Amino acid sequence: MPESKALVGLSWEPKIPNFSSATKTGLGFDAKPQETPRESNHLWKPATELVDGLFVPPNNPKTLNKMRRKQLKDTTGSNWFDMPAPTMTPELQRDLQLLNLRSVMDPKRHYKKGDSQPAKYFQVGTVVESPSDFFSGRLTKKERKTTIAEELLSDPALATYRKRKVREIEEKNRPADNEKWKNKGKMSYKRAKHRRL
Amino acid sequence: MAPPRGRGGSGGFRGGRSDGGRGRGGGRGFGDRSNSGFKPSGGRGDRGGRGRGGDRGRGRGGRGRGGMKGGTKVVVEPHRHAGVFLAKGKEDALVTKNMVPGEAVYNEKRISVQNEDGTKVEYRIWNPFRSKLAAAILGGVDEIWIKPGAKVLYLGAASGTTVSHVSDLVGPTGCVYAVEFSHRSGRDLVNMAKKRTNVIPIIEDARHPAKYRMLVGMVDVIFSDVAQPDQARILALNASYFLKAGGHFVISIKANCIDCTIPPELVFQSEVKKLQAEQFKPFEQVTLEPFERDHACVIGGYRVPKKSKATA
Repeated sequence: MPESKALVGLSWEPKIPNFSSATKTGLGFDAKPQETPRESNHLWKPATELVDGLFVPPNNPKTLNKMRRKQLKDTTGSNWFDMPAPTMTPELQRDLQLLNLRSVMDPKRHYKKGDSQPAKYFQVGTVVESPSDFFSGRLTKKERKTTIAEELLSDPALATYRKRKVREIEEKNRPADNEKWKNKGKMSYKRAKHRRL
Repeated sequence: MAPPRGRGGSGGFRGGRSDGGRGRGGGRGFGDRSNSGFKPSGGRGDRGGRGRGGDRGRGRGGRGRGGMKGGTKVVVEPHRHAGVFLAKGKEDALVTKNMVPGEAVYNEKRISVQNEDGTKVEYRIWNPFRSKLAAAILGGVDEIWIKPGAKVLYLGAASGTTVSHVSDLVGPTGCVYAVEFSHRSGRDLVNMAKKRTNVIPIIEDARHPAKYRMLVGMVDVIFSDVAQPDQARILALNASYFLKAGGHFVISIKANCIDCTIPPELVFQSEVKKLQAEQFKPFEQVTLEPFERDHACVIGGYRVPKKSKATA
């Protein structure tokens, strides 16, 4: 039959099936997954299962709803203008952890207690200064970094405090050695002798 | 209007706002004026931003104190109140999502975010020293009622700094009717409204709502910041015209503007009494203390239906 039509000028003719949503027994769509239960799911079907090379959504409203829910982006909803949840990377996780522990970074800064669990929805942004901001209100090009962690590390004033704290903690945690038994200061041998004289 | 007080070119209550923060007040210069960060602990030394000026010495500085610097990285999270966000970095700041990306209204700092799908979003930092609504949020009010999609009547809009943030809050589906009497600050308001489609500027006296009744529809919330001795009456008049039954009001009361001879607590009490006589039902009252002196913010409902009264 296609050959005879081709003579008229139509080389290809769409084979229009009766749609699966219109008729319940129209196509072997529902029956087919039994043959190849492993390979097909709702989102991807092998070419053999496609109806005339097209993807036809499943007939069942339950599975259709499930598909829709899966495709919906995870956001805060309209109350916060659909702010999306970002994909977690190690850098992002580290920044969040730093934000949680920011109270130890600077002795002169005090913070309110934040939420105990980290936020699910957030975005990482850069502060843009207005053109009239003075130099004290902006960072130089060299001081700008890509993550919060790098920013904290590159700050020299924070570094001195951090180093001192680390040294103190290390000293406290060092295992006891002979230092403990040495006579120091007033108790030293030399000074004791001097006192005796 | 209140007579200008305080020292410096832009001292006083209204004057300090209407100049858009450009004037040089106390001792510090320009960069510090647009200081938009705030410390949660908010000491007295931080009450700047308005040019009231007496206690802002040069000794305040120090490294890293000048608010969020341009170029720093921050994490933006949703706030407890709908439509409001919180930017967390070395310090915290309230922010709202900018309706007009790339535009600052009063030279405030912005936060630009690049999403994973390549779209760009922008937030604007909301300075609690310049906006009583932001101060009330930081003061810990339970509910501000201004949320995405709400229709808001804003009395006493001044040059539109807070109005721009309210317009961010309600988003493209909401609407803000901003009423301001002064032509001078109304000019800034109109210029701001040109770029924001959801702001309708009205240069009219808020005492005569009949004059602008054809411009304003029914609203969900009235925000009143008029600082007049008869502000309770002004609010009641506007509410009777435009506020829906079961709607809400937010009013900021400046004690000095109503009666400076009696203590502020008594002024707040008498104002709340006046509101109650006009079918308003105050739910909560917060002081705006670290940010404003002798101010209170009262939030409540209008013609609250009986049923919700029993549940609430």
